[in-house]
Amino acid sequence: MAGMSDPVSLSKDRPAAAPDSGTPLGRHAAAPATGIHSGHAADGTQAAPVVTTYPVSFTGSAGEYFRLWIVNAALTVVTLGLYLPWARVRNRQYFYGHTWVDGHNFEYRADPRRLLRSYLLVGALFLAYVLTSESESLGWVSVLIALLFLGLYPWLVAQSMRFQAVNTVHRGLRFHFDGRVRDAYVAYGAANVAAAVSGGLALPWAWFMQRRYQLDHLRYGSARGLFRGDVAPMYLIALTALGVMAGAGLLLGVPAVVAVVAWMAAQGFELDSLNWMGAGLFGVFFVAAAYVILLVLQGVVWQYVRAATMRYVLNSAELGGVVRTGATFNPWRVVWISVSNGVAQLLTLGLATPWADIRRSRYLLQGVTVRAIAPLDEFAGSAGGPESALGEAATELLDIGLGF
Amino acid sequence: MPGGDSWPEVPGVFFDGRSSRDHPATLHLEPDGVRLRLAGRADHHWRAADVTVDPALPGVRRALSFPDGSRFETAEHATVRAWETRHGRNRLLGGVARLEASWGAALGAVAVTGALLWGFVTFGLPALARQAAAVTPQGVLASFDREAMRVLEGQDLIGPSGLSAARQAQLQAAFRDVSGWAGGGYGYRLLLRDGEPAGGVGMGANAFALPNGTVVMTDQLVALARSDRELIGVLAHEAGHVTQRHGLASVYQALGLSLIVTALTGDVVSASTFAAAVPVALVQGGYSRAAETQSDAVAARYLLERYGTTRPLQTILARLESAEGGADGLPDLLSTHPGTAARIEHLRQLEDAAR
Repeated sequence: MAGMSDPVSLSKDRPAAAPDSGTPLGRHAAAPATGIHSGHAADGTQAAPVVTTYPVSFTGSAGEYFRLWIVNAALTVVTLGLYLPWARVRNRQYFYGHTWVDGHNFEYRADPRRLLRSYLLVGALFLAYVLTSESESLGWVSVLIALLFLGLYPWLVAQSMRFQAVNTVHRGLRFHFDGRVRDAYVAYGAANVAAAVSGGLALPWAWFMQRRYQLDHLRYGSARGLFRGDVAPMYLIALTALGVMAGAGLLLGVPAVVAVVAWMAAQGFELDSLNWMGAGLFGVFFVAAAYVILLVLQGVVWQYVRAATMRYVLNSAELGGVVRTGATFNPWRVVWISVSNGVAQLLTLGLATPWADIRRSRYLLQGVTVRAIAPLDEFAGSAGGPESALGEAATELLDIGLGF
Repeated sequence: MPGGDSWPEVPGVFFDGRSSRDHPATLHLEPDGVRLRLAGRADHHWRAADVTVDPALPGVRRALSFPDGSRFETAEHATVRAWETRHGRNRLLGGVARLEASWGAALGAVAVTGALLWGFVTFGLPALARQAAAVTPQGVLASFDREAMRVLEGQDLIGPSGLSAARQAQLQAAFRDVSGWAGGGYGYRLLLRDGEPAGGVGMGANAFALPNGTVVMTDQLVALARSDRELIGVLAHEAGHVTQRHGLASVYQALGLSLIVTALTGDVVSASTFAAAVPVALVQGGYSRAAETQSDAVAARYLLERYGTTRPLQTILARLESAEGGADGLPDLLSTHPGTAARIEHLRQLEDAAR
């Protein structure tokens, strides 16, 4: 592949002082240095751990991904959508496969056949919802489907997390997600309700609860994830977003009002002589423009919130007490990339989508680092073994929870 | 085995599935299976049937996984592909991977996708929508009418009519004759409404039909007509939309379009907002040229039966167009009646054919 350095050779900067005990790391390990905090142990005999930084690299290329994307899109269309799960899995596999940490890439292992079944189920439910929502006699069916979705939403999220985690492989070890459904009903049910009831005041708290739920129950082999973050930064992100929204609204709104008043003044404020037809046209365009600007502004701010939370979460994530992630990307730069991506996709009727996805991933991932006080090759697999049959069956509905 | 070491071997990394440690290893791809050679350990042999080869991805290491959860990864694509072909693995996805490697196939895929989508949206979808509209039970239709009227009245697009009771009774009587003639068991009713309840905005001189036979005609259109025959022609045209179920078909078409968009983008949210906009689409979204032509034919049949001429509809069509294109009107960007000249010509031909 042109321009791609040999990923395997990236890794040869292992720390010389690595603990060479062969003890598996992780929650249950009794390894001497089990946590970054333990670097200053009480007895004082232990030296501060050597922190090694592993850059995360992304080696996907837009041309290569475009070919993969369009070939799979064509197959989806030719097969009347039945190939869609295979296409989705391949697209995702490309991104996972081109994300490298310390010379090893990630792998996405979802089984498209199982995805197909859940796609068909969800598709049928969605179709039934749309069709019955227009009908008076069968309207209750659509209400029932909507209630079912709302009631099961936290459960679906939990199943989706489970599915995504268990299908992510790195260095031959699977991730796992063992968050309880009850906690999902707190983080995604109660918290969202609270956010809605409080008029958005509790929304940052809901984000916090959700990120914590995601990270605290994530496992890599037997090493457990930990969200070291707090609520306050979430509120800071939300306040920044609100401030930008208000500032931009003022910046655009004041000149607009001035323009209207100036136009009225130019007409001499004589209502009889005003060109009402022109005024009507002007009004229509004015309202339409304001609406579009508001929508764009809302999209921009939402992109900012997403990027800023992602950065904060990456800067607050820990794994097994020995690995911390960090992110240096600039949320506003992410906003710019998203907006320009959207414009490019619109202008090319969607053909720029692969390029846009690669561009975004490349920027996000080049700013991500993994810092570890132990070699990355000392994680142990989990003793739990494969997922239980019940878990398997439940994950059939998967992968939609986050899509919504 | 004679020459056991002459089988192709590939360098790579081995993970035992129990730890994240990467072991440099070589894998010998033998005809009946694979043999793993790790430094300082005994060889391990797996039968071909126990080996899973993950489908190839461009630029990504090939992975072979084994029943005990261990796996071997290598960058030697060609050798793995040869073994995979020999053992008949990943036939379909291997083919997909070969297509993905070629720019020619990518261009072909663009063409195929574009052509199929275009063909389906322009021909397949309308045909499917017509079929679905034809088999929809009549009981479903009433709610469309109610919902659409609620939206229209809520948005101040129409208001109560300013016509006198006597004038309204005249028009109602004319509509009863039209609807009785059109038949089909629909819930016909004529609603006379002010098309500009809030000053300059609104729908102006207009008439439209909802799926269950609700026909709305604005005072502005009544004022525009020079004779009742012109208005009766319009009403017969709208009755044609009802009996041919054009409104319902256009709703299904929009629905199908939104489902396609959902399937392609995976964006369910925008699809549901689209579904919510169906009542508005019913009124504002135009019918196809073919639908207008069909309804004109219905109207022409009625007019020829009653008056022996299609001229009233021709004249009001012409007047509607000049009124809309005139200096004192907003240019009607969302005109539901395109190609007025062609339609007038069509009506004239229908009259000639009847003679």
